[in-house]
Amino acid sequence: MAIDEKYIALINADLDGDIQPDDKAQLEAFLAESEAGQALQDELRSLCSALDAEGMLDPPRHLRHVVMNSLPEPTAKPQSSPVTESPGFWYSLFAVPALRYTATFAAGVIMAVAIVDSGQVQQRAFNDVTGLVGTMSDAGDIAPVASTIIHKAAVAGTITLRRADPILIIDFDLSTNGPIDIVATYDDKSVWFNGFAQLESTGTSISADGGQIRIQVDGKRRYAVYLHNEGSRKLSINLQFFSNGEPVHQAVLEYEQG
Amino acid sequence: MNEPDDTTLMEQCIKGNQQAFETLLVRYERPVYNAAYRMLHSRDDARDVTQTVFLKVYENRDHYDPKYRFFSWIYRIALNESVDVLKRSSRLEPLDTDTISQTQGPEQQASSEQLSEGVQTALMTIKSDYRSVVVLKHFLGCSYSEISEILEIPEKTVKSRLYTARQLLKEQLDQNGTH
Repeated sequence: MAIDEKYIALINADLDGDIQPDDKAQLEAFLAESEAGQALQDELRSLCSALDAEGMLDPPRHLRHVVMNSLPEPTAKPQSSPVTESPGFWYSLFAVPALRYTATFAAGVIMAVAIVDSGQVQQRAFNDVTGLVGTMSDAGDIAPVASTIIHKAAVAGTITLRRADPILIIDFDLSTNGPIDIVATYDDKSVWFNGFAQLESTGTSISADGGQIRIQVDGKRRYAVYLHNEGSRKLSINLQFFSNGEPVHQAVLEYEQG
Repeated sequence: MNEPDDTTLMEQCIKGNQQAFETLLVRYERPVYNAAYRMLHSRDDARDVTQTVFLKVYENRDHYDPKYRFFSWIYRIALNESVDVLKRSSRLEPLDTDTISQTQGPEQQASSEQLSEGVQTALMTIKSDYRSVVVLKHFLGCSYSEISEILEIPEKTVKSRLYTARQLLKEQLDQNGTH
């Protein structure tokens, strides 16, 4: 039997703690007589509990830095003309929908393999890369073993080192204000450059020699560098960032022997 | 020491104090991101919306009216931006559950490990007007009057939408056998 809309509203109001005493008494009298009403109350209570119990996701760690880096200089904004001010470089950059990352595996498959200049790259490297690209867009899929956050005027974002034996993935999620050269070096020469991938963007170039990888990026980029680390050996990766040849940041990613 | 309230921070922000803005960013980054995620079911879109929301807040800080609560303003911007994303991607109308499951990428698959996928999938099947009310009530913990202020609709309409949304969600979950 259909339940009167009035009682459905009272059941909802009761669940939200927003019911007047008279209405509450009326609802209780109705429920005492109606099994359908009791069943509906139970179902809605269960639904509300499930909704209220839902967890909150953590925003990306570098989001805060990217937003702050996107703000125009305080002095550049005349107080009297807030609307006519053109959006700043960062605002324009992040407003472009095309720069969004595509989270699907399909998008990973159509990723651009950037300009690669390396004597170390082997044919199977690309097979490994295409097998891993689906994980690249998702930070939760492969547990990070090390990470660093950058918050500089010229470059901001996160770099995360992930392990998918025997591959180590250096996951760069960066926004730059102009061209930035990144030099990644590591001591263990038996570790070899196993490939490079980026999502929905071009213009990143990379070169690799024994123990050193050079990358040039410009803009908002998400890309991954794959290192083959047979035996999961301990590795220390030094990262240096240059803008117009001047060092702007330095960081180290440590991988402990697994 | 007590943290300054939102209105005080906005007043400082209007004077060009970016540190005050950063405090607001820290305070509201998480709820804004989660509201967008619940509306869009995509972490990438939620991130983009969150960035856009805070940049709009900053760009339009001079237009903030302190007689309204700051969270009302920022949540309204977040929901409007989310709906714009849905419009741009032609996802404004609800999707059926088959379509949703086919379009899930690794990101959604990962999130489903942490959140109840059944609930989120059901949520994506109801219209954005209903979804907004559910997001504000159950995920952001807003009261009827706060939702009314955020969405600029009468409280009576808030209740009506919320009750209908719950009924639709219940039916969807029953249909999927997850409730």
